Amino acid sequence: MSRVFDITLLLLLIACALAVIHTKDLLGAVVIFSTYSLVMCLIWQHRGAPDVAMTEAAVGAGVTTVLFLVAISKTVRKEK
Amino acid sequence: MKRALTVLLLVVVAIPLLYAVAQLPPHGSPTSPAYTHVSAYYLEHGPEEAGAENVVTDVILNYRGFDTNGEVTVIFTSLAAVFAVLLGSRKGDERLSEEPTAHQSPVSDVVSFIVRLLAPFIAMFAIYVILNGHISPGGGFQGGAIIAALVIVTTIIVGRKQAEAMVPIRIRRVLHVAAPLAFVSVGIAGLIMFGNYLEFPKTESLMWLATIWLIIVEIGIGVGGAAIVATIYWTMGDE
Amino acid sequence: MIDLLWTNLDYAASVILFCIGLYCVVTKNNLIKKFIGLNIMETAVFAFIVALGVVEGGDAPIMGVGASAPFTNPIPQALILTGIVVAVSTTSIALSLIIRIYQHCGTIEADELREME
Repeated sequence: MSRVFDITLLLLLIACALAVIHTKDLLGAVVIFSTYSLVMCLIWQHRGAPDVAMTEAAVGAGVTTVLFLVAISKTVRKEK
Repeated sequence: MKRALTVLLLVVVAIPLLYAVAQLPPHGSPTSPAYTHVSAYYLEHGPEEAGAENVVTDVILNYRGFDTNGEVTVIFTSLAAVFAVLLGSRKGDERLSEEPTAHQSPVSDVVSFIVRLLAPFIAMFAIYVILNGHISPGGGFQGGAIIAALVIVTTIIVGRKQAEAMVPIRIRRVLHVAAPLAFVSVGIAGLIMFGNYLEFPKTESLMWLATIWLIIVEIGIGVGGAAIVATIYWTMGDE
Repeated sequence: MIDLLWTNLDYAASVILFCIGLYCVVTKNNLIKKFIGLNIMETAVFAFIVALGVVEGGDAPIMGVGASAPFTNPIPQALILTGIVVAVSTTSIALSLIIRIYQHCGTIEADELREME
């Protein structure tokens, strides 16, 4: 059972990564990237690394996303 | 042509890497070399030797304090670099603090109300995470990031100028260096008391002191990290 | 080799993520997109190193009442904690450089920037 959960999370992670690089809209890509960080955080929590999971949730999914959003708002939203 | 080259590059990178990871000791095996040497010692002696029940905190702040000392300097340097890049053509702080923010987009009442409702709880959670870093998951970096997130949502609700006014610039300047400052003061205390920079007390009777030092460093990292991230957000935001 | 990879599934997933990130960095033209790719590569490496410290049935390495062995390896976790924070520092510098480039040149597409020289 645990194995099935593991594989599901890993597939979700890879799917998120592929979705990020295929999204032309940068805003959408950043939001999916935040989801990717959150899935990564779930995996680490499940593997017995709560410290790293918490950092990834706060820093990776939170702060990094906000910085990307600010950068997009100051530049362009669509990728050519 | 370019596509073919890219695929070739990916194959050239992926095949050796996959081959290498297949040869590693099985995932999760308790007999792998990574687990049987230093880690075993840390897990066995960490709590009574380093002053924190959370062994990760022991490793970060006590056993490998030098790494983390360098790392908080890296965060501070990143703030300096962001200033250098973005404020290069400007006069500096005068314009930052005096000019009103040009764009003040209206925020919906729902968002505004929810943020105001949640703000005290977010702040309390952040303080809990920072102060309990030595006995539960969490610590300075995580709590600092949560405080920074709180500052960022507050900025979205009340606007840059009001959010900035909560902490005067004179105090904020000091807060930016809180993390290196806490590390250096604890390091020098170790130098004076035990003869080495960043040496923590090791004996049973002085364990309380080691725990206090860990908490001081955690608070420094939390406050400093939050101040730095918030300032980076503001600086990038008003370019 | 496939059955070995099956036991080391976490490592294999990290390699795949690393390659996805590399593909993004090499082929995408937009600087922000390139940087998202670089972030994916970073997290792939982090995932690999955290996976190195996992122990079958291991608990979080937090001692205290009710904790029972085996515990996961604390050293990779400590290293990665440091790494994540350094990653966000580099991200902030890179993004402010990108903002500056946009103000200066009016574009953040790599090929247009190259033609501008």
